[in-house]
Amino acid sequence: MSDDPTTLATLSEQLADAVATAGAALVAVHARPRLPSTGVHWKDGVVVTTEATVRRDGGTDLAVLRIASGSLPVARLGDPATLRPGHLVLALARLDEGGPRAAFGAVSATGGKWRCWKGGEIDRWLQSDLDIYPGFGGGPLVDATGRIHGVNSGGLSRALATTIPVATVNRVMTQLLERGYVARGWIGTAMQPVQLDPATKQRLKRAGGLLLLSVEPDAPASRAGLLVGDVVVAIDGTSVDGFDQLLDVLGGDVVGKKLRLEVVRAGQLVSIDVVIDERPRRGR
Amino acid sequence: MAMSTTFLSGPAEQLRARVVGIAHGRRGRGAAGGAGIAWSGDLFVTSAHVVTGSHATIVTPAGRALPGEVVRRDAERDIAVVRAPGANVPAVVTGDPYGLRSGSLVFAVGHPFGVRDAVTVGVLQAVSPLPRGYGLNGKGSLVWIQADVRLAPGNSGGPLADAQGRVIGVAAMVVSGVALAVPAPDVERVLAGLT
Repeated sequence: MSDDPTTLATLSEQLADAVATAGAALVAVHARPRLPSTGVHWKDGVVVTTEATVRRDGGTDLAVLRIASGSLPVARLGDPATLRPGHLVLALARLDEGGPRAAFGAVSATGGKWRCWKGGEIDRWLQSDLDIYPGFGGGPLVDATGRIHGVNSGGLSRALATTIPVATVNRVMTQLLERGYVARGWIGTAMQPVQLDPATKQRLKRAGGLLLLSVEPDAPASRAGLLVGDVVVAIDGTSVDGFDQLLDVLGGDVVGKKLRLEVVRAGQLVSIDVVIDERPRRGR
Repeated sequence: MAMSTTFLSGPAEQLRARVVGIAHGRRGRGAAGGAGIAWSGDLFVTSAHVVTGSHATIVTPAGRALPGEVVRRDAERDIAVVRAPGANVPAVVTGDPYGLRSGSLVFAVGHPFGVRDAVTVGVLQAVSPLPRGYGLNGKGSLVWIQADVRLAPGNSGGPLADAQGRVIGVAAMVVSGVALAVPAPDVERVLAGLT
Protein backbone atom coordinates (compact mmCIF):
# COMPACT_ATOMS: atom_id res chain seq x y z
CA MET A 1 0.00 0.00 0.00
CA SER A 2 1.96 2.98 1.16
CA ASP A 3 4.91 3.92 3.30
CA ASP A 4 4.84 3.35 6.98
CA PRO A 5 3.74 6.75 8.32
CA THR A 6 6.72 6.77 10.68
CA THR A 7 9.04 6.70 7.64
CA LEU A 8 7.44 9.82 6.23
CA ALA A 9 7.51 11.47 9.64
CA THR A 10 11.20 10.59 9.88
CA LEU A 11 11.93 12.10 6.48
CA SER A 12 10.00 15.22 7.43
CA GLU A 13 11.95 15.52 10.70
CA GLN A 14 15.23 14.93 8.89
CA LEU A 15 14.48 17.76 6.45
CA ALA A 16 13.54 20.07 9.32
CA ASP A 17 16.79 19.12 11.10
CA ALA A 18 18.77 19.94 7.95
CA VAL A 19 17.06 23.33 7.74
CA ALA A 20 17.73 24.06 11.41
CA THR A 21 21.40 23.02 11.18
CA ALA A 22 22.28 24.93 8.02
CA GLY A 23 19.88 27.75 8.86
CA ALA A 24 21.84 28.59 12.01
CA ALA A 25 24.65 29.97 9.80
CA LEU A 26 22.38 32.28 7.78
CA VAL A 27 21.78 36.01 8.07
CA ALA A 28 19.33 38.37 6.39
CA VAL A 29 21.23 40.98 4.37
CA HIS A 30 19.45 44.31 4.09
CA ALA A 31 21.31 45.87 1.18
CA ARG A 32 18.24 47.00 -0.74
CA PRO A 33 15.44 49.09 0.68
CA ARG A 34 12.59 46.59 0.50
CA LEU A 35 13.43 42.95 0.10
CA PRO A 36 16.40 41.48 1.98
CA SER A 37 18.58 38.75 0.53
CA THR A 38 20.25 35.87 2.32
CA GLY A 39 23.85 35.57 3.44
CA VAL A 40 25.84 32.52 4.57
CA HIS A 41 28.31 32.82 7.48
CA TRP A 42 30.98 31.09 5.41
CA LYS A 43 33.94 31.46 7.74
CA ASP A 44 34.28 33.20 11.05
CA GLY A 45 33.40 36.85 10.61
CA VAL A 46 32.77 36.61 6.85
CA VAL A 47 29.35 36.41 5.21
CA VAL A 48 28.97 35.46 1.54
CA THR A 49 25.91 36.66 -0.34
CA THR A 50 24.90 37.80 -3.83
CA GLU A 51 24.05 41.12 -5.39
CA ALA A 52 25.03 43.18 -2.37
CA THR A 53 26.60 46.55 -3.02
CA VAL A 54 30.07 46.21 -1.49
CA ARG A 55 33.06 43.94 -2.18
CA ARG A 56 31.22 42.33 -5.04
CA ASP A 57 32.42 40.29 -7.98
CA GLY A 58 30.40 41.08 -11.11
CA GLY A 59 31.62 37.90 -12.78
CA THR A 60 29.92 35.53 -10.34
CA ASP A 61 27.53 37.91 -8.53
CA LEU A 62 29.10 36.93 -5.21
CA ALA A 63 29.72 39.51 -2.50
CA VAL A 64 31.32 39.36 0.95
CA LEU A 65 30.44 41.23 4.12
CA ARG A 66 32.17 41.28 7.49
CA ILE A 67 30.31 40.60 10.70
CA ALA A 68 31.42 40.34 14.32
CA SER A 69 33.59 37.29 14.93
CA GLY A 70 31.94 34.48 16.89
CA SER A 71 28.47 35.95 16.53
CA LEU A 72 26.86 32.86 14.94
CA PRO A 73 27.74 29.30 13.85
CA VAL A 74 29.87 28.87 10.75
CA ALA A 75 28.53 26.96 7.73
CA ARG A 76 29.23 23.21 7.64
CA LEU A 77 30.42 22.72 4.09
CA GLY A 78 29.85 19.67 1.93
CA ASP A 79 31.54 18.38 -1.21
CA PRO A 80 29.44 19.28 -4.26
CA ALA A 81 31.16 16.48 -6.23
CA THR A 82 29.14 13.98 -4.17
CA LEU A 83 25.81 15.39 -5.39
CA ARG A 84 24.23 13.52 -8.28
CA PRO A 85 21.07 14.22 -10.28
CA GLY A 86 18.08 13.10 -8.25
CA HIS A 87 19.62 13.81 -4.84
CA LEU A 88 17.24 15.55 -2.49
CA VAL A 89 18.32 19.14 -1.80
CA LEU A 90 16.97 22.27 -0.12
CA ALA A 91 17.41 25.97 -0.85
CA LEU A 92 17.50 28.02 2.33
CA ALA A 93 16.90 31.67 3.11
CA ARG A 94 16.70 34.00 6.05
CA LEU A 95 14.62 37.10 5.40
CA ASP A 96 13.70 38.27 8.89
CA GLU A 97 13.92 37.30 12.55
CA GLY A 98 11.42 34.49 11.95
CA GLY A 99 13.89 31.69 11.31
CA PRO A 100 15.23 30.01 8.17
CA ARG A 101 12.97 29.32 5.19
CA ALA A 102 13.25 26.36 2.87
CA ALA A 103 12.37 25.20 -0.62
CA PHE A 104 12.92 21.59 -1.59
CA GLY A 105 13.58 19.62 -4.73
CA ALA A 106 16.19 17.54 -6.45
CA VAL A 107 19.54 18.02 -8.13
CA SER A 108 18.77 18.27 -11.86
CA ALA A 109 22.16 18.31 -13.54
CA THR A 110 25.82 18.30 -12.64
CA GLY A 111 28.98 18.68 -14.64
CA GLY A 112 32.40 20.22 -14.90
CA LYS A 113 33.74 23.72 -15.08
CA TRP A 114 31.75 26.35 -16.98
CA ARG A 115 31.65 30.07 -17.61
CA CYS A 116 28.46 31.97 -16.79
CA TRP A 117 27.14 34.76 -18.97
CA LYS A 118 28.49 37.36 -16.57
CA GLY A 119 31.99 36.09 -17.32
CA GLY A 120 32.81 34.33 -14.07
CA GLU A 121 34.41 30.93 -14.07
CA ILE A 122 32.39 28.40 -12.06
CA ASP A 123 34.23 25.27 -10.94
CA ARG A 124 31.27 22.94 -11.24
CA TRP A 125 27.91 22.83 -13.02
CA LEU A 126 25.25 22.32 -10.36
CA GLN A 127 21.61 22.87 -11.17
CA SER A 128 18.45 21.89 -9.34
CA ASP A 129 14.69 22.22 -9.71
CA LEU A 130 14.41 24.39 -6.58
CA ASP A 131 12.35 27.57 -6.68
CA ILE A 132 14.57 30.53 -5.83
CA TYR A 133 11.93 32.75 -4.22
CA PRO A 134 12.45 36.48 -3.68
CA GLY A 135 15.18 36.84 -1.05
CA PHE A 136 16.49 33.28 -1.54
CA GLY A 137 19.36 34.58 -3.70
CA GLY A 138 22.63 34.28 -1.77
CA GLY A 139 21.22 31.44 0.31
CA PRO A 140 22.81 28.00 0.41
CA LEU A 141 22.10 24.74 -1.39
CA VAL A 142 21.82 22.19 1.40
CA ASP A 143 21.72 18.38 1.32
CA ALA A 144 19.47 16.21 3.50
CA THR A 145 22.09 16.19 6.28
CA GLY A 146 22.32 19.98 6.46
CA ARG A 147 25.67 20.34 4.68
CA ILE A 148 26.08 23.43 2.52
CA HIS A 149 27.26 22.76 -1.05
CA GLY A 150 27.25 26.26 -2.46
CA VAL A 151 25.43 29.55 -2.87
CA ASN A 152 22.28 29.81 -4.98
CA SER A 153 22.09 32.55 -7.53
CA GLY A 154 18.88 33.87 -8.98
CA GLY A 155 20.72 35.76 -11.70
CA LEU A 156 22.91 33.26 -13.53
CA SER A 157 20.30 31.21 -15.37
CA ARG A 158 16.55 31.12 -15.69
CA ALA A 159 14.96 27.70 -16.12
CA LEU A 160 16.78 25.95 -13.30
CA ALA A 161 18.32 27.18 -10.06
CA THR A 162 22.09 27.53 -10.38
CA THR A 163 24.40 26.97 -7.46
CA ILE A 164 27.90 28.41 -7.20
CA PRO A 165 29.82 25.50 -5.67
CA VAL A 166 31.98 25.62 -2.53
CA ALA A 167 35.32 25.76 -4.41
CA THR A 168 34.26 28.81 -6.46
CA VAL A 169 32.86 30.57 -3.39
CA ASN A 170 36.14 29.96 -1.54
CA ARG A 171 38.22 31.28 -4.44
CA VAL A 172 36.11 34.40 -5.04
CA MET A 173 35.74 35.11 -1.32
CA THR A 174 39.51 34.97 -0.80
CA GLN A 175 40.15 37.44 -3.63
CA LEU A 176 37.38 39.78 -2.51
CA LEU A 177 38.80 39.81 1.01
CA GLU A 178 42.41 40.29 -0.12
CA ARG A 179 41.99 42.99 -2.74
CA GLY A 180 38.29 43.81 -2.93
CA TYR A 181 37.76 42.38 -6.40
CA VAL A 182 38.53 39.31 -8.51
CA ALA A 183 41.47 39.81 -10.87
CA ARG A 184 41.02 38.29 -14.31
CA GLY A 185 43.62 37.78 -17.01
CA TRP A 186 43.73 40.14 -20.01
CA ILE A 187 45.82 40.55 -23.15
CA GLY A 188 43.92 43.44 -24.79
CA THR A 189 42.63 42.14 -28.12
CA ALA A 190 39.36 41.62 -29.95
CA MET A 191 39.22 38.36 -31.87
CA GLN A 192 37.03 36.30 -34.17
CA PRO A 193 37.25 32.53 -34.84
CA VAL A 194 38.20 31.85 -38.48
CA GLN A 195 39.14 28.99 -40.79
CA LEU A 196 42.44 29.31 -42.64
CA ASP A 197 42.32 29.31 -46.44
CA PRO A 198 42.75 25.80 -47.94
CA ALA A 199 46.28 26.35 -49.23
CA THR A 200 47.61 27.68 -45.90
CA LYS A 201 45.71 24.94 -44.07
CA GLN A 202 47.44 22.33 -46.23
CA ARG A 203 50.89 23.89 -45.96
CA LEU A 204 50.93 24.63 -42.19
CA LYS A 205 48.78 21.67 -41.06
CA ARG A 206 46.56 24.03 -39.07
CA ALA A 207 42.74 24.24 -39.46
CA GLY A 208 41.87 27.64 -38.04
CA GLY A 209 42.25 29.95 -35.09
CA LEU A 210 41.42 33.38 -33.73
CA LEU A 211 41.78 36.37 -36.06
CA LEU A 212 42.87 39.61 -34.36
CA LEU A 213 40.38 42.36 -35.20
CA SER A 214 41.88 45.00 -32.94
CA VAL A 215 44.76 45.40 -30.53
CA GLU A 216 44.45 47.88 -27.69
CA PRO A 217 47.34 50.31 -27.21
CA ASP A 218 49.51 49.78 -24.14
CA ALA A 219 48.20 46.27 -23.64
CA PRO A 220 50.06 42.93 -23.38
CA ALA A 221 49.23 42.03 -27.00
CA SER A 222 50.52 45.31 -28.42
CA ARG A 223 53.63 45.21 -26.23
CA ALA A 224 54.36 41.71 -27.55
CA GLY A 225 54.04 42.93 -31.14
CA LEU A 226 50.79 41.24 -32.14
CA LEU A 227 49.13 42.89 -35.15
CA VAL A 228 45.62 43.18 -36.50
CA GLY A 229 45.23 40.36 -39.06
CA ASP A 230 47.33 37.85 -37.13
CA VAL A 231 45.60 34.49 -36.61
CA VAL A 232 46.38 32.78 -33.32
CA VAL A 233 46.40 29.03 -34.05
CA ALA A 234 47.89 27.64 -30.82
CA ILE A 235 48.41 28.67 -27.21
CA ASP A 236 51.21 27.00 -25.25
CA GLY A 237 51.31 24.22 -27.83
CA THR A 238 47.56 23.52 -27.83
CA SER A 239 45.55 24.18 -31.02
CA VAL A 240 42.92 26.90 -30.79
CA ASP A 241 39.62 26.87 -32.66
CA GLY A 242 37.42 29.08 -30.50
CA PHE A 243 37.30 31.43 -27.53
CA ASP A 244 37.05 28.75 -24.86
CA GLN A 245 40.73 27.78 -24.96
CA LEU A 246 41.77 31.42 -24.68
CA LEU A 247 39.31 32.19 -21.86
CA ASP A 248 40.50 29.10 -20.02
CA VAL A 249 44.11 30.27 -19.97
CA LEU A 250 43.02 33.76 -18.86
CA GLY A 251 40.98 32.45 -15.92
CA GLY A 252 42.29 31.81 -12.42
CA ASP A 253 45.47 33.19 -10.91
CA VAL A 254 47.33 33.98 -14.14
CA VAL A 255 48.39 37.63 -13.97
CA GLY A 256 52.11 37.82 -14.84
CA LYS A 257 52.15 34.43 -16.51
CA LYS A 258 53.67 34.12 -20.00
CA LEU A 259 51.70 32.63 -22.91
CA ARG A 260 53.43 31.32 -26.04
CA LEU A 261 51.18 32.07 -29.00
CA GLU A 262 51.62 30.43 -32.38
CA VAL A 263 50.47 32.95 -34.97
CA VAL A 264 49.89 32.82 -38.73
CA ARG A 265 51.16 36.10 -40.18
CA ALA A 266 51.51 36.69 -43.91
CA GLY A 267 51.24 32.96 -44.50
CA GLN A 268 54.06 32.08 -42.11
CA LEU A 269 53.99 30.61 -38.61
CA VAL A 270 55.60 32.85 -36.00
CA SER A 271 55.90 32.38 -32.27
CA ILE A 272 55.12 35.30 -29.95
CA ASP A 273 55.25 35.46 -26.14
CA VAL A 274 52.63 37.54 -24.33
CA VAL A 275 52.69 38.33 -20.61
CA ILE A 276 49.18 38.27 -19.14
CA ASP A 277 48.12 41.44 -17.39
CA GLU A 278 45.16 42.18 -15.15
CA ARG A 279 41.96 43.14 -16.92
CA PRO A 280 41.38 46.87 -16.35
CA ARG A 281 38.35 47.43 -14.14
CA ARG A 282 35.72 49.72 -15.58
CA GLY A 283 33.66 52.08 -13.47
CA ARG A 284 35.92 51.61 -10.52
CA MET B 1 16.39 5.28 5.21
CA ALA B 2 14.08 2.93 3.34
CA MET B 3 11.80 5.15 1.27
CA SER B 4 9.61 3.03 -0.96
CA THR B 5 8.10 4.34 -4.16
CA THR B 6 4.69 5.05 -2.65
CA PHE B 7 5.88 8.14 -0.73
CA LEU B 8 2.81 10.19 0.32
CA SER B 9 0.17 8.08 -1.42
CA GLY B 10 -1.30 6.72 1.83
CA PRO B 11 -1.92 10.05 3.56
CA ALA B 12 -2.92 11.57 0.21
CA GLU B 13 -5.54 8.89 -0.39
CA GLN B 14 -6.99 9.49 3.09
CA LEU B 15 -7.14 13.23 2.57
CA ARG B 16 -8.52 13.13 -0.98
CA ALA B 17 -11.57 11.25 0.36
CA ARG B 18 -12.26 14.29 2.58
CA VAL B 19 -11.94 17.08 0.02
CA VAL B 20 -14.91 18.39 -1.99
CA GLY B 21 -15.34 20.66 -4.96
CA ILE B 22 -17.13 23.93 -4.29
CA ALA B 23 -18.86 26.32 -6.67
CA HIS B 24 -20.83 29.36 -5.67
CA GLY B 25 -24.59 29.59 -6.21
CA ARG B 26 -27.35 26.98 -6.04
CA ARG B 27 -26.39 25.43 -9.36
CA GLY B 28 -22.64 25.36 -9.34
CA ARG B 29 -20.61 24.87 -12.45
CA GLY B 30 -19.01 21.61 -11.39
CA ALA B 31 -15.98 21.95 -9.17
CA ALA B 32 -14.38 24.77 -11.11
CA GLY B 33 -14.65 27.32 -8.29
CA GLY B 34 -12.41 25.86 -5.69
CA ALA B 35 -12.00 23.20 -3.05
CA GLY B 36 -13.55 22.57 0.34
CA ILE B 37 -12.61 20.54 3.39
CA ALA B 38 -14.99 18.25 5.30
CA TRP B 39 -14.27 19.78 8.71
CA SER B 40 -16.89 18.23 11.00
CA GLY B 41 -20.42 16.91 10.63
CA ASP B 42 -22.18 18.78 7.82
CA LEU B 43 -19.69 21.67 7.87
CA PHE B 44 -17.26 22.33 5.04
CA VAL B 45 -14.49 24.91 5.17
CA THR B 46 -13.37 26.79 2.09
CA SER B 47 -11.95 30.20 1.12
CA ALA B 48 -14.26 33.20 1.38
CA HIS B 49 -13.30 34.19 -2.17
CA VAL B 50 -14.61 30.84 -3.50
CA VAL B 51 -18.16 31.39 -2.23
CA THR B 52 -19.26 34.98 -2.72
CA GLY B 53 -23.03 34.62 -2.07
CA SER B 54 -25.11 32.88 0.58
CA HIS B 55 -25.47 29.61 -1.33
CA ALA B 56 -22.91 27.14 -2.64
CA THR B 57 -22.85 23.79 -4.37
CA ILE B 58 -20.55 21.10 -3.09
CA VAL B 59 -19.40 18.10 -5.11
CA THR B 60 -18.48 15.08 -3.00
CA PRO B 61 -15.53 12.78 -3.76
CA ALA B 62 -18.17 10.35 -5.10
CA GLY B 63 -19.22 13.01 -7.63
CA ARG B 64 -22.55 13.89 -6.02
CA ALA B 65 -23.60 17.58 -6.19
CA LEU B 66 -25.41 18.94 -3.12
CA PRO B 67 -26.78 22.36 -2.19
CA GLY B 68 -25.08 24.14 0.69
CA GLU B 69 -25.65 27.26 2.72
CA VAL B 70 -22.87 29.68 3.60
CA VAL B 71 -23.17 29.95 7.39
CA ARG B 72 -19.99 31.90 8.21
CA ARG B 73 -17.88 34.22 6.18
CA ASP B 74 -14.71 36.05 7.25
CA ALA B 75 -13.50 38.03 4.23
CA GLU B 76 -10.48 39.44 6.11
CA ARG B 77 -9.22 35.95 7.03
CA ASP B 78 -10.54 34.59 3.70
CA ILE B 79 -12.44 31.70 5.29
CA ALA B 80 -16.05 30.62 4.70
CA VAL B 81 -18.05 27.78 6.22
CA VAL B 82 -20.69 25.92 4.19
CA ARG B 83 -23.33 23.65 5.72
CA ALA B 84 -24.39 20.81 3.40
CA PRO B 85 -26.65 18.33 5.19
CA GLY B 86 -26.50 14.76 3.94
CA ALA B 87 -23.15 15.08 2.18
CA ASN B 88 -21.82 12.17 4.21
CA VAL B 89 -18.12 12.95 3.70
CA PRO B 90 -15.77 11.81 6.50
CA ALA B 91 -14.12 14.69 8.38
CA VAL B 92 -10.42 15.49 8.25
CA VAL B 93 -8.05 15.30 11.20
CA THR B 94 -6.47 18.65 11.94
CA GLY B 95 -2.88 19.34 12.98
CA ASP B 96 -1.00 22.22 14.57
CA PRO B 97 1.02 24.26 12.06
CA TYR B 98 2.93 25.92 14.91
CA GLY B 99 4.24 22.47 15.89
CA LEU B 100 6.01 22.06 12.53
CA ARG B 101 9.50 23.32 11.74
CA SER B 102 10.71 24.94 8.53
CA GLY B 103 11.59 22.19 6.06
CA SER B 104 8.88 19.78 7.24
CA LEU B 105 7.09 17.94 4.43
CA VAL B 106 3.67 19.32 3.52
CA PHE B 107 1.21 18.55 0.75
CA ALA B 108 -1.87 20.17 -0.73
CA VAL B 109 -5.01 18.65 -2.27
CA GLY B 110 -7.16 20.73 -4.58
CA HIS B 111 -8.51 21.09 -8.08
CA PRO B 112 -5.89 23.20 -9.88
CA PHE B 113 -7.35 24.29 -13.21
CA GLY B 114 -10.20 21.84 -12.65
CA VAL B 115 -8.06 18.72 -12.16
CA ARG B 116 -9.92 16.87 -9.39
CA ASP B 117 -8.12 16.16 -6.13
CA ALA B 118 -4.61 16.85 -7.41
CA VAL B 119 -1.77 16.35 -4.91
CA THR B 120 1.22 18.70 -4.79
CA VAL B 121 4.10 18.31 -2.34
CA GLY B 122 6.74 20.56 -0.84
CA VAL B 123 8.07 21.88 2.45
CA LEU B 124 7.01 24.40 5.07
CA GLN B 125 8.79 27.76 4.93
CA ALA B 126 7.32 29.63 7.87
CA VAL B 127 4.18 30.27 9.91
CA SER B 128 4.35 34.01 10.40
CA PRO B 129 3.48 37.38 8.88
CA LEU B 130 4.96 37.75 5.38
CA PRO B 131 8.55 38.95 5.00
CA ARG B 132 9.16 42.55 4.05
CA GLY B 133 8.80 43.03 0.31
CA TYR B 134 6.21 40.28 -0.20
CA GLY B 135 3.28 42.59 -0.94
CA LEU B 136 -0.27 41.57 -0.05
CA ASN B 137 -2.41 44.72 0.11
CA GLY B 138 -2.02 45.13 3.84
CA LYS B 139 -2.91 41.51 4.63
CA GLY B 140 0.77 40.60 4.91
CA SER B 141 0.68 41.33 8.62
CA LEU B 142 -1.75 38.45 9.24
CA VAL B 143 -0.14 35.15 10.15
CA TRP B 144 0.11 32.86 7.10
CA ILE B 145 1.43 29.38 6.61
CA GLN B 146 4.05 29.89 3.88
CA ALA B 147 5.08 26.84 1.94
CA ASP B 148 7.18 25.78 -1.03
CA VAL B 149 4.34 23.87 -2.68
CA ARG B 150 2.68 24.43 -6.03
CA LEU B 151 -0.83 25.91 -5.89
CA ALA B 152 -2.98 27.10 -8.81
CA PRO B 153 -6.50 28.46 -9.29
CA GLY B 154 -8.76 25.66 -8.02
CA ASN B 155 -6.61 24.93 -4.97
CA SER B 156 -8.31 27.74 -3.03
CA GLY B 157 -10.18 26.40 -0.01
CA GLY B 158 -8.41 23.03 -0.14
CA PRO B 159 -6.23 21.59 2.61
CA LEU B 160 -2.53 21.93 3.28
CA ALA B 161 -1.48 18.93 5.35
CA ASP B 162 1.57 17.58 7.15
CA ALA B 163 3.33 14.29 6.30
CA GLN B 164 0.71 12.37 8.29
CA GLY B 165 -2.15 13.97 6.37
CA ARG B 166 -3.30 16.17 9.25
CA VAL B 167 -4.75 19.42 7.94
CA ILE B 168 -2.68 22.36 9.16
CA GLY B 169 -4.22 25.06 6.98
CA VAL B 170 -6.54 26.15 4.18
CA ALA B 171 -4.89 27.03 0.86
CA ALA B 172 -5.63 30.67 0.08
CA MET B 173 -3.34 32.16 -2.55
CA VAL B 174 0.13 32.50 -4.02
CA VAL B 175 2.28 35.58 -3.33
CA SER B 176 5.72 36.00 -4.94
CA GLY B 177 5.50 32.31 -5.88
CA VAL B 178 5.04 31.24 -2.25
CA ALA B 179 1.92 29.24 -1.33
CA LEU B 180 -0.10 30.84 1.48
CA ALA B 181 -2.56 29.00 3.72
CA VAL B 182 -4.71 30.10 6.66
CA PRO B 183 -3.51 28.35 9.85
CA ALA B 184 -5.96 25.73 11.20
CA PRO B 185 -6.32 27.49 14.62
CA ASP B 186 -7.58 30.62 12.80
CA VAL B 187 -10.10 28.42 10.95
CA GLU B 188 -11.30 27.04 14.29
CA ARG B 189 -11.87 30.61 15.48
CA VAL B 190 -14.09 31.33 12.46
CA LEU B 191 -16.01 28.10 13.22
CA ALA B 192 -16.44 28.92 16.93
CA GLY B 193 -19.97 28.20 18.14
CA LEU B 194 -21.04 26.29 15.04
CA THR B 195 -22.05 22.68 15.43
